[in-house]
Amino acid sequence: MDNLYSHQLIEKRDTLIKQFLKQREPEFLVALTRILDEYFQAVFAASDTARTMAARGDPFTLIALGGFGRQEQCIHSDVDLLILFERTIPENVEELIKEIVYPLWDAHLETAYAVRTTNQCLSMAWERFDVLTTFLDARFICGPPHVFLKLMERFKRQLHQHHLAQTLTRLVENGAKRHADFGDSTYLLEPNLKSGHGGLRDYHTLLWYGRIKADIKSRKELEHHGILSHDEFETLEESLNFIWQIRNMLHYLTGRKCDQLHFDHQVEMAKLLGYRDKGGLAGVELFLGDLHTRTDFIKQINQIVTEDILYTRSPRSGRQRVKPTKTPGIVIRRRRVYFESVEAIPSSPELLMKIFVESGRLKIPISMESRRIVADFAHLVDRDFKESPGNARDFERILASSLWEFNVLFVMLATGLLERYIPEMSAIANKIQYNQYHLYPVDKHSIRCVQIINGFKRRKKDPGTDLYSAVFNEVRHRKILLLAGLFHDIGKGDPASEHSTKGAEITADILKRLGYKPAEVREACFLVQNHLFLVKTATRRDISDEETAVFCASRIQTIGRLRKLYLLSVADSMATGPKAWNDWTENLLRDLFLKTLNVLKKGELASRKATRIIEGKKAEVLALKPREWDKGGLLKELDSMTNRYLLNMEPAVIVEHLGLFKQLEDRSFAWKITREADSTVRTIAICGRDRPGFYSKIAGVFFLNNLNILGAQAFSWGGDIVLDIFKVTPPLDRIFETEKWAKAEQELYRALDDDTFLSRLESKIPKSLAPPKGQILKPNIVKIDNAASSFFTIIEVFAYDFPGLLFAITNTLYRQDLDVRMAMASTKVDQVVDVFYVCTLEGDKIDAPERVEQIKQAVLNALPTINEEIPDEENRSNHKTV
Amino acid sequence: MKKIEAIIKPFKLDDVKESLNEIGIHGMTITEVKGYGRQKGHKEIYRGAEYVVDFVPKIKLEIIVDSARAEEVVNTICKAANTGKIGDGKIFMMPVEQVIRVRTGETGNEAL
Repeated sequence: MDNLYSHQLIEKRDTLIKQFLKQREPEFLVALTRILDEYFQAVFAASDTARTMAARGDPFTLIALGGFGRQEQCIHSDVDLLILFERTIPENVEELIKEIVYPLWDAHLETAYAVRTTNQCLSMAWERFDVLTTFLDARFICGPPHVFLKLMERFKRQLHQHHLAQTLTRLVENGAKRHADFGDSTYLLEPNLKSGHGGLRDYHTLLWYGRIKADIKSRKELEHHGILSHDEFETLEESLNFIWQIRNMLHYLTGRKCDQLHFDHQVEMAKLLGYRDKGGLAGVELFLGDLHTRTDFIKQINQIVTEDILYTRSPRSGRQRVKPTKTPGIVIRRRRVYFESVEAIPSSPELLMKIFVESGRLKIPISMESRRIVADFAHLVDRDFKESPGNARDFERILASSLWEFNVLFVMLATGLLERYIPEMSAIANKIQYNQYHLYPVDKHSIRCVQIINGFKRRKKDPGTDLYSAVFNEVRHRKILLLAGLFHDIGKGDPASEHSTKGAEITADILKRLGYKPAEVREACFLVQNHLFLVKTATRRDISDEETAVFCASRIQTIGRLRKLYLLSVADSMATGPKAWNDWTENLLRDLFLKTLNVLKKGELASRKATRIIEGKKAEVLALKPREWDKGGLLKELDSMTNRYLLNMEPAVIVEHLGLFKQLEDRSFAWKITREADSTVRTIAICGRDRPGFYSKIAGVFFLNNLNILGAQAFSWGGDIVLDIFKVTPPLDRIFETEKWAKAEQELYRALDDDTFLSRLESKIPKSLAPPKGQILKPNIVKIDNAASSFFTIIEVFAYDFPGLLFAITNTLYRQDLDVRMAMASTKVDQVVDVFYVCTLEGDKIDAPERVEQIKQAVLNALPTINEEIPDEENRSNHKTV
Repeated sequence: MKKIEAIIKPFKLDDVKESLNEIGIHGMTITEVKGYGRQKGHKEIYRGAEYVVDFVPKIKLEIIVDSARAEEVVNTICKAANTGKIGDGKIFMMPVEQVIRVRTGETGNEAL
């Protein structure tokens, strides 16, 4: 159905939009609202249905809600309409809708309408907060005014009598939830113009607050009622107009109600708004910089007012009560921090810092006027100012008080003082990184990183499991961590060099200038240089491999430094955006942190000394020039060897093992028997591919051949290669020793192929055993330790030695589906102590207590019981009395 | 056409991607996933508090190829993702009925 009025509406609207695009119609929002008003008034006047209803005693009015009510209608904003009946809704209301709303739908205007009575409106308002806020913006369009006025009168009376406190609380809560949902428009590279922090909704909240507290009718009254100062109001007007302009443009470009400024539209938008490339910055970057400045202002105003609501539940009173602070020259007036007098600043420029210190300490915002004063006096920041130790201490305080809800560092950036104090920051100011990961410009990202680190201090949702606050509370020299957080990306200003390295250089310059000690400078530089190290290692290396943790530990060296680097890595990732931080990455990083920490705690594998020894050994091996190895291949092989192995072996032995490794080729093992002249000991080095049972089968073959094992070591060599070293007594038959060894070698091949080959040995393990005469009887002991290593369960066995002992133990472990990764056997004075590093066939530790107990019992059962062979009288009598 | 779905260790992603590029496979979907099979999670202790990692982080790759190439792709992934240890992952292969390129409406192999 063609409708005359909607036709007129569309025509007028199209003309208005054309004007807007050409001349930037300044009153566009009001003009568009007026056109809609005219449509409703015309339809209402012409409606027979409306007349009949009024005549029958069902008068109703048309009321504009939401943005339409505020007269802030953007191109594709919803038209929010309330059809309000005084007492009852007549049955033929559908007719009315058809006349009023359908033509709008036909014209493709998004229209949301509600038909309610006054009572319905009121009960809904107290039930649903979103309905309540629409009434705050309600505006009469046409119909008998008394229907509208009555609703408003009752609404306001009930609000003030019964719902005031609750409504204010919900206003604040709603804001907080919205900010969490939509993010911060002052940071985000794809900001939401309406709902993000610093977006239009923040201003609406301000307006609603004014309406609730002071019943203000228009924006202008925000100033009259002392909610905003004159300067604040002027800046708000300018910021709102800028954002509305963009929002209208965005609606026009996308052809729909779109409030998120996606990358796709930013370049075009900048062009439409007349931004050109300037001074090495792209037009679009300048545009976003300007937008961020505006949204930042609205965010600050919103925070200031939110804080008013939270702390005072009333707008600032008109009285100018002045309260002093701890710092002379800085005062508090109407819950804002001010300079006491502008005249004092030139002679005491440190006040420029102090005002931020006081604001951060008291959590009271700095007044807009004083912010401007800081900007005006920023030229006072000269060399003396920058090198003053007092200012450096103040800056530390500012860093430490910078929080998410109250970010004084951000205000410092906004005034330009941060860049004056640390000129190196200019290189990353408003620098936008066009890629998928980064949501924020570099300077905002860096500040966010600092506030996230500070946030760890108070995260106590679940004190038992909140790792970050647990770690943070153990960090000493937090200022170094915070400084590293602020400067970690400062190298990004120079696209020509690698940003971590460049950043470390710049950080060194800054910290030296600020007067930090060499050790502090070194620590901060290390953190900046390595801020991506943990994340890269966690995602690109096998963290289930002990060597990865050892590698990290060797680089990081101290636990204190690891803690800082971990928190910096987490904060940096969190500050980057959801693509860089999710619980997937969090898991990997946490795992690597805890494992590296364990390695550092034990120290033996990655201490400075250990690293020095290992490097020395590698050099010696290189100098020995093993045959069949070229330098490149050898270096690669040495790098892949585990620290544990390198620490324990002499260079000459390593060279020998390198030879064995060459022989291995695709066989399952290669061994070498060394006999020293007239010694009764043989050393057997075995290089093989690790697989479950490998170790127990070697021990079994020795047992089978009556070769008594005097000592044994097993190492992971790197990759899946293991190196086992045994010291055994030679075969009894020395004449045919070579043949004997050849037979043993064949038997080992068979045992590895055939799992049952060594089964018959199990019956040869003695059932009971007596210790050598004269010794005090000690029971067999099995200790299982899960705490010492992140990667292995460590099993220690104390028992009297007998041929086959090692086989008895390792065969049991094998039958329990455990993999022996490392082993050390040595003899105490009376007992043998065998230590085994084991894990399940899946590579996990054995955590479950019942499983630990099961394994313990299995090993104990495999050992002979301890008896006294020929007990002397004394001992026997003792036993009888027990 | 076949869909090949591979669950691999995160740090093997670059190797696998490179090997696939070498045989001319350039398109794939990559998802960060968590799960567990025979390789269960584990726990770590910090200051007496336990941190349990019950799901192991993995990468899921999805690739659609012409049936004739499926075997080759599977072998390539297998080789590149192998560390010889537990938890190297699994590969699933399943038939795909149809592929349509949204922009052009092309179907079948042309849309790959």
